[in-house]
Amino acid sequence: MKIFTILKNKKITRITILIFWLAIWEIASLLIGREVYLPSPLNTIKALLALSIRSKFWYSIAMTFVRVVAGFVISCIAGVILGIICGLNRFLYDLLNPLVIAIKSTPVMSVIIIALIWFQSGKVPIFVCFLMCFPIIWTNAVEGIRQVSKELLQMAKVYRVNRSLIIRRIYIPSIGPYLIAGITTALGLGWKVTVAAEVLSNPKFSIGGNLYGAKVYLESAELFAWTSVVIILSFTFEYLFKYIIARIEKY
Amino acid sequence: MAIEIKNLYKSYGRLVICQDFNIILEENKITGILGPSGCGKTTLLNIIAGLEEYQRGTIKGLGGKTFSYIFQEDRLLPWSTVKENIRFVLDSIYDDQKAEKIANQYIDMVGLKEYAHYYPKQLSGGMKQRVAIARAFAYPADILLMDEPFKGLDLELKTGLIQSFLKLWKQDKRTVIFVTHDMDEALSFAHYIYILEGKPLRIKEKIRNMRGVVSDRF
Repeated sequence: MKIFTILKNKKITRITILIFWLAIWEIASLLIGREVYLPSPLNTIKALLALSIRSKFWYSIAMTFVRVVAGFVISCIAGVILGIICGLNRFLYDLLNPLVIAIKSTPVMSVIIIALIWFQSGKVPIFVCFLMCFPIIWTNAVEGIRQVSKELLQMAKVYRVNRSLIIRRIYIPSIGPYLIAGITTALGLGWKVTVAAEVLSNPKFSIGGNLYGAKVYLESAELFAWTSVVIILSFTFEYLFKYIIARIEKY
Repeated sequence: MAIEIKNLYKSYGRLVICQDFNIILEENKITGILGPSGCGKTTLLNIIAGLEEYQRGTIKGLGGKTFSYIFQEDRLLPWSTVKENIRFVLDSIYDDQKAEKIANQYIDMVGLKEYAHYYPKQLSGGMKQRVAIARAFAYPADILLMDEPFKGLDLELKTGLIQSFLKLWKQDKRTVIFVTHDMDEALSFAHYIYILEGKPLRIKEKIRNMRGVVSDRF
């Protein structure tokens, strides 16, 4: 009975689950007994606190944040616009599809290395983020447009409903769920590939650059601290996005 | 001017829907079209509405005409309420106030006043059909096309809707073409009835309806 009442309360359940995994981490780190291999959660938090008093920490986060947002926004705009056009026009779809498939199948590392040749270090992560997120959003936009009901479009045609109303009341509600799914997936991926690109391109201020630095000096606690920063940021972004969508859907 | 279809030829690939088909649909009258399912009645309505192409033939009397169409399916926007669905066809032609007034009037007519803010998924099949009917009647079309409009409605509701329909029609005598399986329904409010057979589509019989509500009242 007691367990039931606890499980009923979602927040308590979540916190319990979090504590459970932190405990597993702590035990694993105690068993291994070498901070270099697996630092304890406590040491990771200590390292995080030590980092957070330095201005470089915040500056690095800010710069990575800007890169993710830039790459992500560009891929959203291009993905949605080109996705809608290709969803409506079969020829343009056939034209663009092989390119998108090629991008999708290219290993992230290849993209990063190619980008390193093409661009200066600060711009590499933006380009990589864009190239990795774009296919997801494009594919979802195309799929959304294709799912728009032909029957509803016929109905609107008979009643001579004007174009802007058709777009607002038929197209947008139809592709909305597809875009939301695409954007949510792309957001998570965006953070990961941007940081990966930063590790190799090593711009002056970046989370990836700091990750690399921590690895070079075998500062495992610091490495874990930076990693947790990425996880927290990525999670917060996704949560914020879902919250905004829920708010919009209310209206 | 009546709608005059001459030498119409339409096929889907090898499947010939109609060949040298001729029909005259009187203006400002109610015409019922009966026929077995699959004979091409819906295709005929779609051709008149401009939703489907045809390969040969001429159709006179459609220039500049506007249409309302009650499809076999309700074709409601699933993410819009009853009222929003009706407003959808009115908002391109009326200002906000007038569209609102007309939408309310027709929702009332089909007896869905309490459901104006419901979404289609919250309504029964018959209620959705009534929304589609309200939408078609609310739109000020010259020609009203109906593909089995009262299908799936109980007798009482059907009679009620036919009554309101005739009342509306008397105020504003539009051209009405409706497809049905039900001879009694056709006799209850059509001026002319075409019995079709197919395929290919052809006229088996044309009936001038002399009995029932139509001849009694007008």
